[in-house]
Amino acid sequence: MQSIYSDQHTWLHSLSAGFKLLVVLCLGVGLYATQNQLLLAIACALCVLVYASLGRVGWRARRLLTPLLLAGLLVVGFHAYLQHIDLGIVSALRMLSISLIGVAFTLTTSSAELLHTLEWVLQPLNKFGIQTQRIALQLALMLRFIEHFFMVWQQLDDAHKIRTGKSGGLRLLAPLTLHMLQSAKRVADTLTLRLPR
Amino acid sequence: MSEFNPQTSNTPNADALDTTPNAVALPIALSSLFAALLAVLGLIPKIDLPLGVPITLQTLGVMLAGCLLGPKRALQALLLFLLAVALGLPLLSGGRGGLGVFMTPASGYLLGWPVGAFITGGIMAWLTQRQTTHTPTRSAIHAFVASALGGLLMVHLCGVIGLVVIANLNWQQAVFGTLVFVPGDLIKCTITAMVVHTVARGLPDWRLGGVSAH
Repeated sequence: MQSIYSDQHTWLHSLSAGFKLLVVLCLGVGLYATQNQLLLAIACALCVLVYASLGRVGWRARRLLTPLLLAGLLVVGFHAYLQHIDLGIVSALRMLSISLIGVAFTLTTSSAELLHTLEWVLQPLNKFGIQTQRIALQLALMLRFIEHFFMVWQQLDDAHKIRTGKSGGLRLLAPLTLHMLQSAKRVADTLTLRLPR
Repeated sequence: MSEFNPQTSNTPNADALDTTPNAVALPIALSSLFAALLAVLGLIPKIDLPLGVPITLQTLGVMLAGCLLGPKRALQALLLFLLAVALGLPLLSGGRGGLGVFMTPASGYLLGWPVGAFITGGIMAWLTQRQTTHTPTRSAIHAFVASALGGLLMVHLCGVIGLVVIANLNWQQAVFGTLVFVPGDLIKCTITAMVVHTVARGLPDWRLGGVSAH
């Protein structure tokens, strides 16, 4: 599973994940605190500049922005149709600003760094019995399962094609689920031996 | 390989009483597994609709998680999946991921997934506990009802709130916009019921909704 994170260094890579997360959160709150189109347009222009400053890293991730731009245009178009174009512009500016910064954040912060920050932020939950250090283990397991089940899905599909000449599609979901539940039991048995008591 | 029997306790709330080491490992494995199932369902191409909200098969995973895992583990699986998405893994349909997806008009639906899975699991558990006799057909009917209320109604309610807050639609427009998804989601409820029927037949000891049958 390839992450969206880019290894190519940019100035945003130098900033700590905690600081960037704080900026994203503050921006999210700030954008919804005003309806002023000029302020929102300035904020959006700044976000576009920040994103553009990533250069090739940002350009390579343009496929992530296409649905975003489309959604922005549709929101404006929908509100224009309903004679509320001002409202549409405000919504689209907010959405574009925060999404651009969100994508820039994801492109320049490694999963490990972000996970470390999240574990730190979630630390107080330990007091309530939630073991935040197991989050990393669960993420690793999840990634392993994705690969495994994709392979199993393909094997089931191949077997179905041999029998019927057609792709199995959603018919494969029930056997896949049975296979998954049995695999989970085996993985749990293995984990039981490795997890600290 | 031994016969699959995830919990040996006969009490409905076995999690609280089960002190076997597997009681710790199994929830970890199951929540990771269902988060992976959601990702695999995301590999099936999405259909884009107006308002920037796509039709995907991933809501099927939300319904399945609730019906097969119960409220607590389903919530855990969905939160894990959304965390992985937020971390930048392209796990949503169409290879989307990162924090940006939580700021789009579809974010209400995304954030509604854990809530929907929890409610689906809760209803499935409640219906399973109420029954004195358990047949695969009855379990499938329970799964359909639980999926319709949790995976469909609750997720759409959260989606509508998202459309109102982020896309600035009024309630009537948002409800009208979300109705487009309902026929497809009813089909997903039916598929969930069929999968639950297969699981109830193939793994009779499986604790549907996270609770043991009486």
